[in-house]
Amino acid sequence: MASQSIIFRETKQGKGFYILLAVLGAFLALGALSFFHAEHHGHHVTGMNNQIVWGLPHVFAIFLIVAASGALNVGSIGTVFGKKIYQPMGRLSALLAISLLVGGLIVLVLDLGHADRLIIAMTHYNFKSIFAWNIILYNGFLVLSAIYIWTMMDRKAKGFYKPAGVAAFTWRLILTTGTGSIFGFLVSRDFYNSAVMAPLFIVMSFVFGLAVFILVLHFTYKWTGRELGDKVMNRLRYLLAVFIAGVLLMELARHLTGLYISQRIGVETFILRDGGIYTQLFWVVQILLGSILPLSLIFCRKLKDNRLALLLAAGFAILGGFAQLYVILIGGQAYPLTLFPGAEVSSDYFDGAINGYTPSVWEIMLGVGGVALALVMVTIGVKVLRFLPESLSDAVADPHSK
Amino acid sequence: MTSKFSQVFLASVLALAALLAGCSKAPTEADLNLATAKQKAEECVEPENVIRTKHMDMLMHQRDATMIEGIRTKQHSLKECINCHVSATKQDGSPLHYGDKEHFCTTCHAAVGQKIDCFQCHADRPDVAQNQNYQHAVGSTEGHHFTQGVTEAAAPTTAEVQMVTQPQQGAAQ
Amino acid sequence: MSQNRVDEYRRKFVTALGGVAAAATVAPGFFLREAQAAGEVPTRSLDQAVTSEKRWGMLIDITKLTDGGAGMVEACKKEHGWDNNPLSRDDQKAHWARVVNVKDKLTGHSFSLPVMCQHCENPPCVDVCPTGASMKRADGIVQVNKHICIGCRYCMMACPYKARSFVHEPLTDQRSYSPRGMGTVESCNMCIHRIDEGRLPACVEAAPDAVIFGDLNDPNSAVSQALKAMGGKQIRADLNLNTGVRYHGI
Repeated sequence: MASQSIIFRETKQGKGFYILLAVLGAFLALGALSFFHAEHHGHHVTGMNNQIVWGLPHVFAIFLIVAASGALNVGSIGTVFGKKIYQPMGRLSALLAISLLVGGLIVLVLDLGHADRLIIAMTHYNFKSIFAWNIILYNGFLVLSAIYIWTMMDRKAKGFYKPAGVAAFTWRLILTTGTGSIFGFLVSRDFYNSAVMAPLFIVMSFVFGLAVFILVLHFTYKWTGRELGDKVMNRLRYLLAVFIAGVLLMELARHLTGLYISQRIGVETFILRDGGIYTQLFWVVQILLGSILPLSLIFCRKLKDNRLALLLAAGFAILGGFAQLYVILIGGQAYPLTLFPGAEVSSDYFDGAINGYTPSVWEIMLGVGGVALALVMVTIGVKVLRFLPESLSDAVADPHSK
Repeated sequence: MTSKFSQVFLASVLALAALLAGCSKAPTEADLNLATAKQKAEECVEPENVIRTKHMDMLMHQRDATMIEGIRTKQHSLKECINCHVSATKQDGSPLHYGDKEHFCTTCHAAVGQKIDCFQCHADRPDVAQNQNYQHAVGSTEGHHFTQGVTEAAAPTTAEVQMVTQPQQGAAQ
Repeated sequence: MSQNRVDEYRRKFVTALGGVAAAATVAPGFFLREAQAAGEVPTRSLDQAVTSEKRWGMLIDITKLTDGGAGMVEACKKEHGWDNNPLSRDDQKAHWARVVNVKDKLTGHSFSLPVMCQHCENPPCVDVCPTGASMKRADGIVQVNKHICIGCRYCMMACPYKARSFVHEPLTDQRSYSPRGMGTVESCNMCIHRIDEGRLPACVEAAPDAVIFGDLNDPNSAVSQALKAMGGKQIRADLNLNTGVRYHGI
């Protein structure tokens, strides 16, 4: 496991802790308010409709769920692939994974038309549905991550450390495959029905999870006055670059395939050229700000060892990730269904028309509430249990790195 | 671990638990407005003690049988409960809904604090526009009293018989 | 042909009327065919479960629809009351059926048709539903079991025909035979309550000259005979869903 000099400690008592909890608590309260509002009045208070059936809450939820499986990666690299420098971060990695997943699931569940029937989702399974499989995968992920944390924290369970790490890693790959397949299995929509959605979501999870991990790691260390060295952060820095490049490659393959198959040219040209907000989000936010800019910040020689540049890179990668999911989810639904290929269709019910969507404030509040819940869980977690090494300075973290 | 934070946390959990415990109070017979139900007890599809304790199971069973298998017997049908027990309007003529305390189901369910969501989807009062004579009388052929057994589906009306015996205009070709 | 249209309908009543008395009042030629058909698929009594012996379906001849199916849509609206959603925006209102106008981009050939749930043999909405609320009854009718619908809207993502609606607001005074409520998904159920009573779906009744309804599994049924003679196309036949609603003239 981690080298001998690593000592894990709870974060200290302090005013900052309560201020942070109060701020996050305020966002949590807004999220709860949003849920009760939509639960009472129905979804007509939201921007979602019968054309755009999944909206901003689902963008938030899927971001958090995908990021959750990615956040576990830092731990997995240490455990499964034996990279010692990553091992001290394993506990935080698994805690963050659990927190993000719970935050994402709460958004997903509270947006259901019948959130009160959650028990039905747990007792009635249609095993042909990838959604039903995902429910099992999410629950399993929570259990495996918890076991993984236990093997890292309890000396007596040390023997299970490696198997637990391998199991959690394997499970998370299957989980993200499942999340991507939610879209991949949709036969009726040309923008979705493709096996590439599964690997695309896996690489996306690497980026989202790592970017969130970098930010959380930096700020917990900064706000608790602990030392965090460049050796650790530079590892994460270049790893982030590799993952961002991976997403670009998958996106290239996906869109080229779409442009090649004439059945899909319609929706591809919509997203890439004619889609207004979706086109702008794709090119400006996802590609330029979310991919090219972070890569530049990471590889610019002048910014070597520059912590701010790394934090900005992570922040922009997260922004790009949100844009990417927004384009996939909302953009994919905005383009009308094809009832009759090669024909123009119209009706009094938006057939053949680009579907409009404006998120309501309630959806934003619900989504932000999910993010707040994830962060509250991390904040309390590192406070009450020994998740964080006292120091990750270069001398401690990497005495004889390989 | 025994920090100020965990003390605050523990205290708030205990306070909430105490609050919840204080709220629960078993309803007494006096709390339940059972007058309308008692009036109709003699005519019910099951003996009073059975229907009181088992109506939820019967409705649940019937709902699955109807949805999945298309079985539409009337004895345990929610629609028939409503037709017999609920009037379409209040005394002042305004529509009677599940949210009103006079509604047959509400009289009990509000008192025992049991929320049901039947009426988010199902009509909570008889569909007078569809059937003027929705209310059943004791012993009528429309009744489903357990001593009568289950009545068969209604015989075709004269109009329906006519539709079959006299071919429609479109059918002449 | 349209004589055959009401075969299903009549068969039930012939059985319900029972025996000779009824037979005497029915035209002799008609009775002969009925007698043969009635032996194959017995009429269901309401305490018996539906079976897969029958598969309900319909053929819509759009060349005989003068209004593109607007009358059928109106009849559906009236039957199920799905136009009662005052709080919802236009894009949130329920639509169990709608008239779609189609114009070929190259040839300019145009037509209108009513589009509703196509009652697929392999429905994507049933495949994706996590709880099994989106279901196909044994006799081929695709519907939502709202008792176990959690309102996730995945079926709406999966349906190629945009046949499903989500109820965005609280409802009261629904039709007693057609429950629908906030937070659940709904769609055309082929007037399942009418079929169980031996009546034709509301839209079929509204366009008796253009629509033939019946049992697709019975080669002698009116709808099967008509499909054999006239063809009958599916919307998005490329998806290989084997729809129960077929069209002539598209």
